Amino acid sequence: MIEKVSAWFEERMGWKPIWKALALRNIPKVNWLYTLGSATLLVTVNQILTGILLTIYYVPSPQDAYNSVAFITNEITAGWLIRGLHHWGASAMVVLAGLHMLRVVFHGAYKFPREITWFTGLGLLAVTMAFGFTGYLLPWDQKAYWATTVGTRMLEVTPVIGDWLLRIARGGEELSAVTLTRFYGTHVWVLPSVLLILLGIHMFLVVRIGISAPPTAEEAAEEPDVEVEA
Amino acid sequence: MSRRTFLSRATASIVGGIGALMGIPTVAYLISPAKARGGLGVEAIPLGPISKVPIGEPTLFKATIERKTGWVTQAEELAFYVSTDDGRNFTAMSNVCTHLGCRVRWVDDEEEFFCPCHNAVFSKTGTVVSGPPPRALDQYELSVEDGQLFVVGKIEA
Ligand code: FES
Repeated sequence: MIEKVSAWFEERMGWKPIWKALALRNIPKVNWLYTLGSATLLVTVNQILTGILLTIYYVPSPQDAYNSVAFITNEITAGWLIRGLHHWGASAMVVLAGLHMLRVVFHGAYKFPREITWFTGLGLLAVTMAFGFTGYLLPWDQKAYWATTVGTRMLEVTPVIGDWLLRIARGGEELSAVTLTRFYGTHVWVLPSVLLILLGIHMFLVVRIGISAPPTAEEAAEEPDVEVEA
Repeated sequence: MSRRTFLSRATASIVGGIGALMGIPTVAYLISPAKARGGLGVEAIPLGPISKVPIGEPTLFKATIERKTGWVTQAEELAFYVSTDDGRNFTAMSNVCTHLGCRVRWVDDEEEFFCPCHNAVFSKTGTVVSGPPPRALDQYELSVEDGQLFVVGKIEA
C-alpha cells in the first residue's frame, strides 16, 4: 500500500533523489552530542507551530494583550499546553542552540569548509535571542513591561546613537502600544523570515557538505606543521 | 526483520506518536470557542412595565445586557416583541428573523411581522405566513413582578 502510494508520487514528482540526499546521506561515526543540532531544530519547529496557534487568539494591543493571554491559558481547551510549550520551548531553544554551538567549538567543526555553516549558525543564535527578547513583552504583564523597560534602556548607553536606538526600539519616548505592536510584528514576521533564510542555508550546507567527524588524536599527530617549542 | 526495517518502522511510529500527541490538543484548542452556546447570559432581563403593552398589539422592548465573548465583555442590545390578549398573560418573541438574521418589524395595518431582507411574513403569534424562513420566530419565557416584565429564558420549540 505505502509502496504503491510512494511509487505513484515518485512517477509524478521524482522526489526519491531528494529523499536519498536528505535522509540516506552518509554521516561519519559520531556520538550523542551530535544530536544537539537536531534537537534545536525540533524545538524550533515546535516554536513555529505553537506560535502560529497562539496568534489565533492573541491580540497585540494594551487593552487586549494581557486578557487574551489569560483567556488562552485559562479558558481555551489545551491553551495552557500550547502556551506552555511555546514558553518553555523558548528557553529550551536558547539552551540547546548554546550547547550545540559549544560542541561545534570543541570539535573544531567551524573550520574549512564549514565557515558558512558556522556564521549562519551564529546568526541563528542571535535571532533566537531576539525572539526571546521580543516575545517576552507580548503577555503585557508587569514582569514583561518592566523587563522590556530595562532591556530597551540598555540600548541608551550606546555611545552617540544611544538615545536614537532607544527611540527606535520603543517607537517613541516611552513603552507604549506602539512598542507592543512593533515587538509583535518583529516577533511574528521579521524574525521568522530571517530565521527561515538562515536555517535554510544552514541545513542546506549540513546536507551538501556533510558534518565533520569528531577529531582524533592520530589526526592531530599527522598534522605536518605542528612546531613544538623546545 | 532487518535492522534497517526495524529502525525505520520505529522512527515512523515515534514520529506518528508525536504527531498524534500534538495533533489532538491542537484540534481541541482550535475548536474550543465554538463550544460556547449563547444563552441569555444573565438571570433575567428587565424589559419595562406591563402598562406599556396595548392589548392586541405587539410592542417592541429593547434591553441591553453584558455579554462576554472571548476576553471582551460587551454591551449587547436585545429586542423583544411583547404581546398580550387580555392584559394578564404576556408572550415575548425575538425580533430576529429565523431566515438569515435580519430584524423583523410589526406592521400594524397588516397585523403581521415583516422581514425586509427576503420579504418574509410572520403571523401575530410568530408563525411563518410566507417567505423563506424555516421556522417560527423564537419565543421567550416572561415573568411579571410588580407590574414589571422580565425575560427569564428561551422557550425551546
Ligand atoms: S432574513 Fe428575514 S427573510 Fe431572509
